[in-house]
Amino acid sequence: MSSVAIEQSGPKAVPRDVVVRADGVEKTFDGGVVALEGASFDVHKGEFVSVLGPSGCGKSTLLRLVAGLIERTGGSLTAYGTEVTAPRADIAMMFQRPTLLPWKTALDNVLLPTLIERRPTKEDRERAIGLLRLTGLTDFEFAYPQHLSGGMQQRVALARLLNAGADLLLLDEPFGALDEFTRERLNLELLRIQREIHATIMFVTHNIAEAVFLSDKVLVMTPRPGRLAAEIDVPFARPRAIELTATPEFNALVLKIRDILGSRS
Amino acid sequence: MSDQAVTMGMPAAGEASDRRWVSHAVQHAAVFIAVIALWEASVQFGWVSKLLLPSPVAVVIAWYKLAISSALIWPHFFVTMFEALAGFLIGVVLGGGAAIACALSPPFRRLASPYMVALQVTPRIAIAPIIVAWLGFGMQPKIAIAMIICFFPIFINTLTGLLQTDADAHEMFRSMRASKRQIFRELMLPGAMPVIMAGCKTGISLALIGAIVGEFVSASVGMGVLIQRFSFQLLLPEAFACLLMLTVMGLILFFAMEVLDSRLVFWRHDKRLAEKSRRKAARYTRRA
Repeated sequence: MSSVAIEQSGPKAVPRDVVVRADGVEKTFDGGVVALEGASFDVHKGEFVSVLGPSGCGKSTLLRLVAGLIERTGGSLTAYGTEVTAPRADIAMMFQRPTLLPWKTALDNVLLPTLIERRPTKEDRERAIGLLRLTGLTDFEFAYPQHLSGGMQQRVALARLLNAGADLLLLDEPFGALDEFTRERLNLELLRIQREIHATIMFVTHNIAEAVFLSDKVLVMTPRPGRLAAEIDVPFARPRAIELTATPEFNALVLKIRDILGSRS
Repeated sequence: MSDQAVTMGMPAAGEASDRRWVSHAVQHAAVFIAVIALWEASVQFGWVSKLLLPSPVAVVIAWYKLAISSALIWPHFFVTMFEALAGFLIGVVLGGGAAIACALSPPFRRLASPYMVALQVTPRIAIAPIIVAWLGFGMQPKIAIAMIICFFPIFINTLTGLLQTDADAHEMFRSMRASKRQIFRELMLPGAMPVIMAGCKTGISLALIGAIVGEFVSASVGMGVLIQRFSFQLLLPEAFACLLMLTVMGLILFFAMEVLDSRLVFWRHDKRLAEKSRRKAARYTRRA
């Protein structure tokens, strides 16, 4: 199960439910630093895939490559069957920091992706208010970011991510800066929301238990140079409750991943 | 629940802070009266020559003559204020424009920077006689000098503000496929606004200095002319009254900038922000 994923390259039909297909994706920065060494993996429709590893393993680089924010220096990377070369409408990304605009209300921040496309209508506004409800921010539509707590700001960022209307959501340690309790609650809500909107999610984290709890599949990465060390399937049934983290099966999987990270870093 | 959100972080305006405010006002008034009394005394008792330092009472009398009974001061006052404001506005347009060009185009920034440094290190007041030689004796040379003197802080603050755009937010805009124009309008410019306004506050005081310097070099109207004339005639109470009026003018311009700041950079003013939230929420509920 912990085998290194090696896909044979060459032209072949991409199965319908493959959302992301990475084949030997590489990123070497200008100074010659290898950030990511030949990563190959698939992400299927509706899957929750975590990208797990210590800092410097290239997990954020991998996510930015999928987002089309940086250019790869080798390999092939497709989303929905077409090459990723630039940011696209069917892929949206959320960052560790909420990056809300302090001069806009929560509602106007959520509407930002709409504003970039066109002038928001009344319906857009209603939908954005609905998204704020979905992320647990009923009655905070007109609050400004500085009047919201860190957790609430990240909920606004999540609603904004959903408002982009993308099917593939990339989350780069979205709750990493929050306290343990808030993070756990937001993780559970993220799972609930994913069930509700049937999104495909790639989720970067450095927390092994968090990755196992959330994911259908964990991409384990090791640093210097950043590489994909293993692809672990997580078999637990959904919906998952927090009690899962106390079961022997769960802990066995956590230990197994810890071994992979420990033995290779 | 929304009330709780929008009032978070606001200072409690309780009785205690009221009492502190009153006691501070009393302290300020006491110090002010003491200083004025000492000044009046030092002139009355002949510690300082009346010719060199007019007494506060003499200054007030001179001010009353200039501002009220003869009203001679007002044309000069408004000419100087107009020159400073016009120079400032042109400085905002040119300084802001140059900064935007530098922020958006690294090659332009590279090529322009030696000239900007030269402009900064040259004592810009020294250009005043040259400007007068070019533009003559009307208001134009004063406006031009005011502009040149206030240009730099506006330019450098706008450039700094635009260049310190949050890298994560920039990446977020890129991931949303925002155009360069949208990134500028929705992210860079509003984000730079607090720093730009700080530059404008420095700039407006400098513009007033520029206008006065221009009037010193050559003019027939303006507060600079008036002060110069009264000083030459050793009418120091009148000269002090003019100086007092320039303080008032400086305050007017400064407070105008403060008001503008609280409108343009409302998110840095907690009270305005809370009020805005409430208003927007109310408007929404009314429409629904």
